[in-house]
Amino acid sequence: MKNKYTNQELMAICGARLIWDEAIVFAGTGLPVLASMLAQNTNAKNAKIVYEGGNIDTKNRDLPRSVSDPRLMHNAAAVLDVRATLGELLQGGYVDIGFIGGAQIDRFGNVNSTVIGNYRRPKIRLPGSGGANDIASLAKNTFIISLHEKRKFVKCDYITSPGHLKGGKSRAKFGLRGNGPKYIITDLCIFDFETRSKKARIKSLHPGVTKRMVLRAMRWRPIVPWKIPVTKAPTKEELRILREKVDPKGVYLKV
Amino acid sequence: MCVWYNRPVPKQISLKEAAKLIPSWSSVFIGGFAHIRAGMSFSRELIRQGTHDLHFVSSGPTVHTDLLAGGNVVSRMEVAYGGIETIGPGPNIRRRVEQGDLLIEDYTNLSMTMRLYGGAIGVPFMPVKSILGSDIETKTTFRRKAEKLALVECPFTGELVCLVPSINPDFGVIQVQRVDTEGNVQIDDALTSDVDGLKASDVKIVLAEEIVSPTVTRRDPKKTAVPGLMVDYIVHAPWGAWPTAMYNFYDYDQEHIEYYADLCKTEEGWDEYKKEWVDIGEEALMKKIADRREKLKARKGLGY
Repeated sequence: MKNKYTNQELMAICGARLIWDEAIVFAGTGLPVLASMLAQNTNAKNAKIVYEGGNIDTKNRDLPRSVSDPRLMHNAAAVLDVRATLGELLQGGYVDIGFIGGAQIDRFGNVNSTVIGNYRRPKIRLPGSGGANDIASLAKNTFIISLHEKRKFVKCDYITSPGHLKGGKSRAKFGLRGNGPKYIITDLCIFDFETRSKKARIKSLHPGVTKRMVLRAMRWRPIVPWKIPVTKAPTKEELRILREKVDPKGVYLKV
Repeated sequence: MCVWYNRPVPKQISLKEAAKLIPSWSSVFIGGFAHIRAGMSFSRELIRQGTHDLHFVSSGPTVHTDLLAGGNVVSRMEVAYGGIETIGPGPNIRRRVEQGDLLIEDYTNLSMTMRLYGGAIGVPFMPVKSILGSDIETKTTFRRKAEKLALVECPFTGELVCLVPSINPDFGVIQVQRVDTEGNVQIDDALTSDVDGLKASDVKIVLAEEIVSPTVTRRDPKKTAVPGLMVDYIVHAPWGAWPTAMYNFYDYDQEHIEYYADLCKTEEGWDEYKKEWVDIGEEALMKKIADRREKLKARKGLGY
């Protein structure tokens, strides 16, 4: 019997599975929070979550809507400030995984969340970096999470958050620490990055998704392996924990 | 540079008087990060007083920044973020930038916080290892690239480092849980970058939910986030962060934030919002939302 699930649930579950036990994760609002909290309840019971405002190693009982939320005070290990989280933990090299999203994502995992069009007189002004550039620059690994739309998988008009920049060893050349993006998680597939060139490559296709569907929904061509495994479908248990424990009120899952 | 004189005891003034201190064309830091402790009452008062062309400085500003953009209070911003959490880009910020009426010099949360911290500790710049390789490094709006940041080779290790210039806003305003009559500030939840921003500013204004006697703060000095000897003015401003949250006092009003963001997608919508929620005055606004306030009050022990 196949379980019914939404795209949001699928992406949150894929994200959670990629978080390893004992990882220190920097969470931004929305899917990253769902993925991180789900991971803590399933495959990564000792993972620790940090939020940029200052809440460190949180074990909140209610789902936060924002990166700075009074809910994050409950049961946190330490509550400090931005210098402690983005400075000491992130720049200081403690953060294993940072989640980011954006309006445009290119083949090297560079992300744009600042402007569509010209920077000085944009067609669309977006929120900007927030902590995304810091996370992309300094986390040991970045996970990009996004809906799979053709207007998103394009060349970036502006690089807010550096991925593998121009590919190959460019990150190190520009002086960036951390390994950069490791995965792009979408509602159609999961990408990883080829070791030498750092170009995005399809790692697994979600159940019911074909290579064609993936390629049609993007403007740049990823590396397409001949044989691509199918992402394991969300299990009953994962869906139960997500719907009943992590987001029972349907704040993000909008049941 | 920071102001070098000490005011012996901060002066307690009203919200109106505090907003009047800010002349047009000055630079201002107003605290508030994501969904907490935004200087909302203060921002509404600035709109009412017709203050304009402010140069706004902050790290992760939120609803209040969008409000100020709508009200044409700010013309330039040096910030890391121009959006509203859970919504996306701030609707007014977006429209003003796209029209060419508002200029944003983009930084990142870490670099903006370090700029303010550098300003607070009296050094001309701070180093960061982010920004490198991105368009935050290569592109500017109203600053020349040499004014915005500097890419250098560390004189000790040779590694590439981005230097960001320290900043000392003319005025710094934060909205917090409590302050005592000597100006000692207590913040009950994450400090975010509010404290760095306040400390970097020349004139420091603290708006608080409650003003207490120094015995309360001196009983537990570890809780003091900003020592009173730095503070210039204190204001009693309960519910001053509405519709954002004040831990231990009230939760954020997500419904109102979404209503605001939806309405302000157009200029007409913004005018309507301004008439209904800002122009009426702070006292009238508090009366208007009395029912909502009851529902938002924090539960004891939980804080929200």
